[in-house]
Amino acid sequence: MASKGKIRVLIAKPGLDGHDRGAKVIARALRDSGMEVIYTGLRQTPEDIVEAAIQEDVHFIGLSILSGAHTHIFPRVIDLLKEKDAEDIKIIAGGIIPDEEIPKWNEMGIEAIFGPGSSTKDIIKYIDGKNIE
Amino acid sequence: MNKERLIEKLSEANVRAVARLITLIENENPLSEEILKKVWKETGKSYIIGITGPPGAGKSTIVDSLAKFLVEKGKKVGVLAVDPTSPFSGGAVLGDRLRMTGAQSSGIFIRSVASRGHLGGLAATTRLLINAVELLGNDYTIVETVGAGQGDVEIVKISDTTIVVEVPGLGDEVQAQKAGILEIGDILVVNKSDRPVSDRLARELQMMLSLGDKKDLESPIVPTTATTGEGIDELWEEIKKHQEYLGKGRFKDNRLEKLKYELENQISQKLFTKKIVEIGDKEITKTSKDILNRKIDPFTAVDNIIKE
Repeated sequence: MASKGKIRVLIAKPGLDGHDRGAKVIARALRDSGMEVIYTGLRQTPEDIVEAAIQEDVHFIGLSILSGAHTHIFPRVIDLLKEKDAEDIKIIAGGIIPDEEIPKWNEMGIEAIFGPGSSTKDIIKYIDGKNIE
Repeated sequence: MNKERLIEKLSEANVRAVARLITLIENENPLSEEILKKVWKETGKSYIIGITGPPGAGKSTIVDSLAKFLVEKGKKVGVLAVDPTSPFSGGAVLGDRLRMTGAQSSGIFIRSVASRGHLGGLAATTRLLINAVELLGNDYTIVETVGAGQGDVEIVKISDTTIVVEVPGLGDEVQAQKAGILEIGDILVVNKSDRPVSDRLARELQMMLSLGDKKDLESPIVPTTATTGEGIDELWEEIKKHQEYLGKGRFKDNRLEKLKYELENQISQKLFTKKIVEIGDKEITKTSKDILNRKIDPFTAVDNIIKE
């Protein structure tokens, strides 16, 4: 991709809880580091998220989940990306994900999980470090 | 996706391929030109509706309602929604999609576009982005501008029908007399019409229009409440009326006019880039210093450089 390429990230807040402050803080931090952030808001279904990610041609999907619904939503998003031949889109996640589950999710295809207390700098560093073409 | 595969997928109206082509165009990647050359004949087939107005007027919500409405009528719709790029970081939060959940679940293609430093309410590449979206076989392409100021009138250069969305409470009737954005509307929408002062805004706009030169087709004023979908059917009737008014003749003339403008732009852009490279940074810096130190005036300097 030419030098004018921007890193594009879709930030979504699936599930039924309404705690979107974290997602908004991340969206703003990524914007301030020069990325283009597509913010899709609350109560998105995995189908909506994957369709939007494809239309927006993003490099990353960021999922924020605090309700425990990740056990259902993560596998669904991963499967849908596979189905749509879009596995090159990387998934990162934040919110309340039990520590002992993290290795399992990493193995399944959630590239990185940033729990409470994570610094936005670390998240930006992580994304930048992925060297998007 | 390599070039051949991308072109093949584009001919199948594949969403992923169209989305990728849009990225290439946005990035001004030379590959995008090669691909557009190959698919050019398939583009230009949709009717383009432009929507502009101040930030928070309800543009995205109107686009959402209108797009859903059109899909229910059996039409195929694509949406380009432009939001501003930060002049400091170069990043952007693109939030138009947030208001378009209805359109999204109706299977409409929506693409959020960052303005990337371009002024005028659109991104520099918007015309070509429309062409890319058209590869999906749309009847209509809706283009939403960034929250526009009074002078952001570029949308009129790319749309067949331009809709200007206004909301009550932003100023007095003198605002409506000023030149600029209000003049470009083929249709004026007074959104948030459930608010008490919206009648007055509609009357002021009516007054402004009645003071102007008579047009063959007067710009109608349509009250809407986009959040409930009220007035959207009337808006659609007015769009259809405008489309019928343009007919084949005016439609073609308008598009030709816009293409001429576009072509001139592209030529000057290419010549400009070529010349700037030719002149080189050294010469530019040296001449700028001379101008700064009042050794030469900018007019003579430019003439000298161009003559070289």
